Parts: sequence; C-alpha cells; structure tokens
Amino acid sequence: MTETTDPEFLTDTTLVERAMHRMAKCHRAIILYLANNPVYHEAVRNVQAAFHELWEEEDQLLIHVTEDGLVWNGKLIIEEENKGDSISWVLFKDGVRGVVFEPSVEDDELVRFLSAIHQTRNLPEDADDDLLTLLWHEEFQYIKYDYIDVGLDDQRPLEHSDQHEEAPLVSSVQQEVAEEAKRPEGIVNIEDFDSTLHFLDDDEIQYLDSEIEREYNQDLRRIVLSGLFDVLELQHDQTGYDEIVTILEDFIPYLLGAGDFQSVAYILREVQVVIQRSERLRPDHREKLATFATKLSDPEALDQLLQTLDEAHVHPTEEDLGALFSEFQPKAMETILAWLPRLLNERAKDLLARATDQLAIAHPTAVKRSLNSEDRTVVLGGLGLVTRLKLTTLGPDLGKLMSHEDTDVREALVDALATVATPSAFTQLEQLLDDGDREVRIAAVRTLGAKRQGGALGRVEAAVTGKTLRTADLTEKRAFYEAFGILAGKDGVSRLAAIGLGQGLLKRKTDPETRACAAMALGKTRSADAHPALEKLVRDKEPIVRNAAEKALKELG
Amino acid sequence: MTRPSGPHEPERRSTIIDATEATETETRQRGRACLKAIYAALRNLKLYPVENEQAQKSLDELERTTKELIEREGELEIRIAGQLLFVNSTRLRLDLHSYASFSYVISTFRQAEVGVMTVVAGVNRKEWQVLISLLLSFAARDTAPNKLSELREKIALGGITHITVDPPASSEADLVDEERQKEVAKRTYERSVAITNELAESARMGRSASVKKVKRAVQGIVDQVLNNEITLIGLTTIRDYDNYTFTHSVNVSIFAVSMGKRLGLNKTQLFDLGMGAFLHDVGKAKISKEVLNKAGKLTDEEWQLMQLHPTLGATTLFSFRGYGDIPYRSMIAAYEHHMGINLKGYPKSLRPRDLSVYSKIITVADVFDAATSHRVYRGRDPLMPNEILQELLDDHERLGIDVVLVKALINLLGIYPVGTCVILDTYEVAIVHGVNPDPSHIHRPLIRILFTTDGGRVTDAPVTDLAETNPDGSFKKTIIKVTDPEKYGINVRDCFV
Repeated sequence: MTETTDPEFLTDTTLVERAMHRMAKCHRAIILYLANNPVYHEAVRNVQAAFHELWEEEDQLLIHVTEDGLVWNGKLIIEEENKGDSISWVLFKDGVRGVVFEPSVEDDELVRFLSAIHQTRNLPEDADDDLLTLLWHEEFQYIKYDYIDVGLDDQRPLEHSDQHEEAPLVSSVQQEVAEEAKRPEGIVNIEDFDSTLHFLDDDEIQYLDSEIEREYNQDLRRIVLSGLFDVLELQHDQTGYDEIVTILEDFIPYLLGAGDFQSVAYILREVQVVIQRSERLRPDHREKLATFATKLSDPEALDQLLQTLDEAHVHPTEEDLGALFSEFQPKAMETILAWLPRLLNERAKDLLARATDQLAIAHPTAVKRSLNSEDRTVVLGGLGLVTRLKLTTLGPDLGKLMSHEDTDVREALVDALATVATPSAFTQLEQLLDDGDREVRIAAVRTLGAKRQGGALGRVEAAVTGKTLRTADLTEKRAFYEAFGILAGKDGVSRLAAIGLGQGLLKRKTDPETRACAAMALGKTRSADAHPALEKLVRDKEPIVRNAAEKALKELG
Repeated sequence: MTRPSGPHEPERRSTIIDATEATETETRQRGRACLKAIYAALRNLKLYPVENEQAQKSLDELERTTKELIEREGELEIRIAGQLLFVNSTRLRLDLHSYASFSYVISTFRQAEVGVMTVVAGVNRKEWQVLISLLLSFAARDTAPNKLSELREKIALGGITHITVDPPASSEADLVDEERQKEVAKRTYERSVAITNELAESARMGRSASVKKVKRAVQGIVDQVLNNEITLIGLTTIRDYDNYTFTHSVNVSIFAVSMGKRLGLNKTQLFDLGMGAFLHDVGKAKISKEVLNKAGKLTDEEWQLMQLHPTLGATTLFSFRGYGDIPYRSMIAAYEHHMGINLKGYPKSLRPRDLSVYSKIITVADVFDAATSHRVYRGRDPLMPNEILQELLDDHERLGIDVVLVKALINLLGIYPVGTCVILDTYEVAIVHGVNPDPSHIHRPLIRILFTTDGGRVTDAPVTDLAETNPDGSFKKTIIKVTDPEKYGINVRDCFV
C-alpha cells in the first residue's frame, strides 16, 4: 500500500481507521454479548461516535473488501488475520467486494449490518441463506454493496446474434401495408381495444386486494397436502406414488416438530379417505398408508410428540389437539396417561387432559387396557378417566384393582367405584372398609356415607361398636362415626347417645375423642331424637366433646 | 455492480392494505397525498375553467396537503427520475390505486421538461393556480430547445416566488445511467438463466439444489423490477430455443414480479411471487428431454407425461430446502399453474381448492411468455405479441386465466408489448421498447426505429414516444401495422442485449 504524505489525507485516514476499528470491535461485541449487555452498548456508542466524526469530513465511505481486510483509498485499514471474527472474510467469502456507507448509517443500519454478518458466520454450508440473501431482506437505505457471483460457472453472456438485418426495400414495407389494407381485419385497429379494458375498475382492484389478503391468510400446508392427496386419488399414472407416500410419511415428524398438530390430524384423516375411496392404490401403498396412524400411536413416537408439546412455546388450540388425538389408535392411551402427570407446562397439561378425555370417550377399551397396566401412573390415569367421564361400562374391570399394591390406586378406585355406582361396585367399596390402608378406609367409608349406602350399615356399625377403631386416629374415627350416623339415622341415636354420654358398660372407659365423634355423628342422624343427648353433651366437661356437640346441634337445626 | 437498497420497509405478512400502510413512512403517505392533489389539480384545470367549483376544490386540497408536508419537512421536492417519482428523496411506490395518477403527473412534468419541482414554506393558492396552468400549457407545447427557460420566466412573471422548477438530470448522465442499468439488467438475466439451468440439472440428477442461489436470482429480479423494470422486461424478448425452459422460467418470473409491482405488493411479497414463478416449471426437469424438446405434436402418452410436471414440481420442491422451511408457496404455484381458475386444467382437483392469486398471476405470465415463443405452439406460427394479449382477453375462459390479471398484464406491457415489431404510418419499421408511461396512451408505446422511411438501417436510435404530437395536435407517428420481425431480418433480442 502506498502511504500518502498529504496531511489532510492523513487526517481522513485516521478518522476512517478509527471508524473501521470501532466497527470491528462492535462486531466482536455482537458476537460475544447480548444486546442488553453494557459492553455491547458501549461498543455501539463508540462506533456511532466515530462515524459522526467521520461525516464531518466525508460525504460517504467506500470500502473495498479483500480476503485480508478492508481497504480505503488503496490503504489496508483493517487487517483481519483471525477469520473467526473477521468482517472482511465473511463479506469476501460471499462475494461482497465493496461497501458504501452513508451518513445516518450509524443510527440503526450499521448494527443490523454487523448482525447479519454474525448470523451468516453461524450458517451451515448448505443453509438456505448466505450473507447476500440476508442483507437483501434488511432493505438498507444507507448501505450499498457490490458483489460478484461466487460459484456460478455456467453463466452464458447475452450477446448479439450473428444475424444481420437486411434493409427492407421501401416497396416491401409499403406492399405489406397495402396487402393488409385489402384485409382490413388484419390491420391493427385501436378500436379493438376498448379503452375501458385497460384500466381496472374499483371492484376489480378490490377483488385483487382481497385475493392478496387471502394469499397471506391461507393455510399453505393444508393446500399442499390437499394436492398430494388429490394426486394419490386421481392420478392414473403411478409415477411418483412411492415418492408421495414417502413424502407424507416423512412430513409427519416434520409437522410435529413444527407443532402443527392440525396438519398431522388432517393427514391421518385424509389417509383413511384415500384408502377407502381410491381404487387405484397399489396394495403396498395402501398398507403403508394404513400404518401412519398406528405408527404415530407407538410409544416412542408419542413420547416425542408429548415432549414437543411440553416444550413448545406456542401451544395448539384445543381444537387442533383434539383433532389429532381423535385420530390416535387406542394403544396411544397408555403413553399419554403416563405422560400427563409429568408435563411441566400447565397449559399443555390442560390441553392434553381435555384431549385425552375425548380419546377415552371414543375408545373406552383403551381406558380398560390402561387399568391393567403395570405402570401405576397409567392405572391412576385410567381410574381418573373412569371417574371424570363416568365410564360406568368399565365397572366390572375395577374389581381386580381391589388388591392393587399401590395405595394411591386403591384410593382412586374408591372414587371410580362410587362413579360406577352399581350394586356390585358398592359391595366392592364395602370391602375396602377393611383395607389395610387408613386413607383407603376413610375414603371408602365417607363415600358410602355420602352415597347413603344402607347395605354398608352393618360393616360400619361393627367398626363403630367393635375394637377396630380403638387404635384409629381421630379423622378415621370421625369418618366412620359420621357414616354410621348418616346410614343409621334415627335408629342409631340411642347407641350414639350412649357412647357420647359415656353411659352403660363403656362408661368411664370411653375416651373424649370417641365421645366427640359420637356427638358429631348424632348431628348426622338428622333426627330430633338426638337433641336431648346433644343438649347434655354441650355441657360436658371435655372441651372437645362440647365443641362437637355444638356443631352437631347447628347441623340439626 | 452496486445494488442500491430501497428505503427500509419492515417485513409484514398481512393484507395488502395493512402491508402498504405499515411500511409507508409518513413522508411517503403525505407525498402520495400531495401527488394525488397535483394530479387532481392538473386534470380539473385542464377540463374546467378556473372558476369551476371542482377546479377550486382541487386547488384548495393542493394548498392544504402541500402546506402540511412543508410544515413537517421544511420543503417539498418532487423529483422525476425515469419512471420513478421521489418526494423529498423518498420514492413513491406505484400501486393499483395510484399508478394512473402518478404516471399522468410524470408525463406532464416530462412534457414540460421539468425534472425537479421545489416548493418552500409560504406558497399560496394563487401560486399553485398559476403554476398548474403553466405546466398544462407548456406540456401541450411542441418540444423546443428553451422550453424550460421560458417556463421559468413565466413563473417569475406570474409572481410565483415559493416554487422553482429545474431540469431533469442531464441527458448525458441519463445515457450513462441507462447503459449501466442495462448492464446490470443483463447480468441479472444471465445469472438467473444460469441458475435455472443449474437448478434443473440438480433436480434431474436428484441432487439438492442451492436454495441461496435461487433466492439471490429472484432477489436480483425483484431489485431490477423495482428500479429498472423496462430494461429487464426488454430482455424477456430473448428467445433462446435451446434454452427455452430456462429462459422461460426467468421470463415468467420477470413478468410475474412486474405484475405484482403493479398490484402494489411489497418487496417481500414480490420475492415470494418471484420464487413461485422462478420455480413453477421445476417439475419439467424430471420429464425426459425427448418429450420436452419434441418438435412435433405430442402423442397421448407423451402428453400425459407432460401433464405430470406440476405434480413433479411440487414433490421436487419438498427436497428444495437446506435448513429452512419447505417452500410451500412455490410448491402451490408449481402445482396449480396449469389448473385454470375453473379447475378444468391439470392436475385435477378432488378436494375443494381456491387457486392462489400468485398461481393465477404466474399462469397469465406463463401463458403469455409461452405463446410468444415458437416452442409451445408446435407446428403453428407464433402469434404477434399484441394478438396474444387480445387472445388472452377474448379467450380467457377457455384458457382458465383470470381476466382481471390479463388487464393487469396489459397495463404492464401496453397493447403492443415490448419487442413487438411495428410499421408506422411513416413506413418506418420499429421495435416497441416499452409501454408508454402515460396510461392514457397505452396504445402509443415507446419505440426504437430500426429502418427509416427509405429503408435505411438506424443504429442506436433513441427511444421515441409515439404520444408526441405536432403543433396542430396530431400525433407525429402512429402504428399502422404489426409485422413479423423475421420478414425484415430483425432479431428482436439484439435490440435489447
């Protein structure tokens, strides 16, 4: 490079060098820091200041791009050996050979320009974009750039033909016109073109406006898919069938990855339509298409889908998800039920729960299968569905869970049995009064009481009057006593009064907690006969008994 | 090569109206209002006496809109550069709602030899009235060497102190610029054809095509259409029959993007449309060359094979991506461009389908370009370009094309499309260079004379505007016949390369 001795020129060089160095620093800041980082902000401020200074001397800045660095007025201003953060290398690699910066570039465009360079650096070799395509979309006003076509060898220049025009004889032109004159219809007649045809009227303009609006509001994937299914159904020639079937198959994971559940549902639905309607389908194509829904319901595939759903930033609508789930095979149920409690995203969880309900309604047999699962989460999910959706037809399948080793399952079974509410279900509930787990027993007795299952009175009474409750805690005791009060009604008043007042054989031996439970149970009998005993109990020396009696009296009214 | 960028317009995919409103700066909106007011004043003062209520109203509106803009920006500068209109350095985009008015203003300014008009604060209604009247008067006059000087004198005499007029950029600079733009346009075209070739080869060999190269080609076409549409459209007259499939795709892309520009699409929308057009025939790469290039009529079997190309195009484009999204819009265009708006074409449609407007645009561009080529109408003489446009209008139902878009194409190309060889009433032979910028002269294109009245060959003839009139108001030259350029040994491409 030739150094100049012109002092004015030297001054300019300093300004340009400063601007370019600060631009390089700003580029490094963009690479290293987020936009809210103070270092990033400082770098931007510095480059802006440098350009402001430069514009006091220059109207514009033309920089040549070489492989080694940036050149201004024949001088290498920035030498960038490290390709890792080199501006010039990215520009040069993608064909940019010159950049013109104009005043105001520093306001906003420079950072966007450097960001595009940074973005390009991270693009893989076969990406859809390069620096030039990215810069194009930025629509810069104060940055212009020259570029060459890199990697385009087969470019034939447009050249003049070898054909040499022959000057027409004047007579031949006149003759042609004269000949046409004999055939007036051949002569151009301006009237043929009604002037009104040249201009679009308001309706036509409005029509085109609405068409363009439609263009950007339509579901492009659906349109493409619709075309592919039409081809499968209508095309006589089998050419490309394999390709289309493969495209559809490969498209499903792509769509799931993109969170487009509705399109997947559409594919599964239309596959069924094509299988039913098209007579031209080859058996192997038919078979392959039929596996789409099955494959999607496979545990591995479904795992991926639910993971996507949990991690998605934008969630599908209930309608979309419901549409997809309605296409699932019953075997999907177990995987979904296993996933539901694990989902972290509440919105996704809610959507999935609702969609699962729809699947359960459509496929009760899938719920039945889930009740036999070895996974307790699945069994619990299945029982939840039986309860929530009142799947009474599954009552006979609940019995085997009576002996399920998991307490939570047996507890959930109580609700399910109550929902099924058949005599057999209530018999099973009664059996659960003897369950080894306290929670199960409490749930069962409360449910039987709430359901006013008189058939259970004997067992409940035996518990109340027997020894089993002696070691029980207050909650369990109270549950049993209250259930007894509800189920026995008026007939139970004398027994409860005796226990509450500590009369008879049990006098002195009855503990205050049990007497308090008896007092609460008196209230549950809803019988006026309970009043005298309760009136006495409100004056009992034990506070717990007095308190229970007051509440019971209020309940009696 | 420098690729100037346009003013920043944030990307937004919404309605055309939304997009237009969202992307226009306030200057652009106010500038548009001013230009419309100038147009209205020019029209009304031409049609009615100045006392007329309509004329008065338009002057009121002109005073109001210009005052508002000057209050905000300090001054108003209207500059004409080629077919581009700038208000305070902001280019106004033509759209369906404005192109006729703006073209009228450009035409009037040009005829009055005004390139720049500057208005400063303090301008009043009286000044506008005098200036508009002067512009109309000078625009109607015959070309004279000192026309602008005379206009300036009249402006001074008329007491106009807040408005000045200046000539357009020097004609020498225009020529240099024209040559430079022509070179840029040629390179854009050459590159696009090369990329189409490469794309077809990749598709044929089952290799992945370079998406970024195609994007760059289409971006180049969009830039050229936005900046120098007329030159690029001129290049569509290139009929390289060995390379028909490639030049055809590029031509369709140029026509489609140019039509899109007329319809007011923004830059990103033009890119989407251009991509669809560029790739619309990509499926042909999978049809055997024997069928594709067969000179005679196709057999039924060959025709069936040919009809597969839209489907093959759509399926080919499934693999046309690197790490980006699948190009659905281009796939739809490839798939739908032979369906016809009545869906009677191919491939057949069983499921409900509303053709994409981009497919409709591409169909019109495709039919026009194919019809102007020898290749498609095998064994039939090609129609003259103007006959093709007439046929598209008359036969749009059978062809399954949208007649409204045919009108848009005529608006773009004029009645005599670029490259049409014409005989004038002077017995000169000429080639149409471009549509007349004044829409009211759609049948009077810009031409280049190739042979004089006495048969002499003209080289490097300047562009002649057939709307030019004699002092008595009659037109100087008029087309009396469209002719086959081959009759006169003219290779149309040479006029544009």
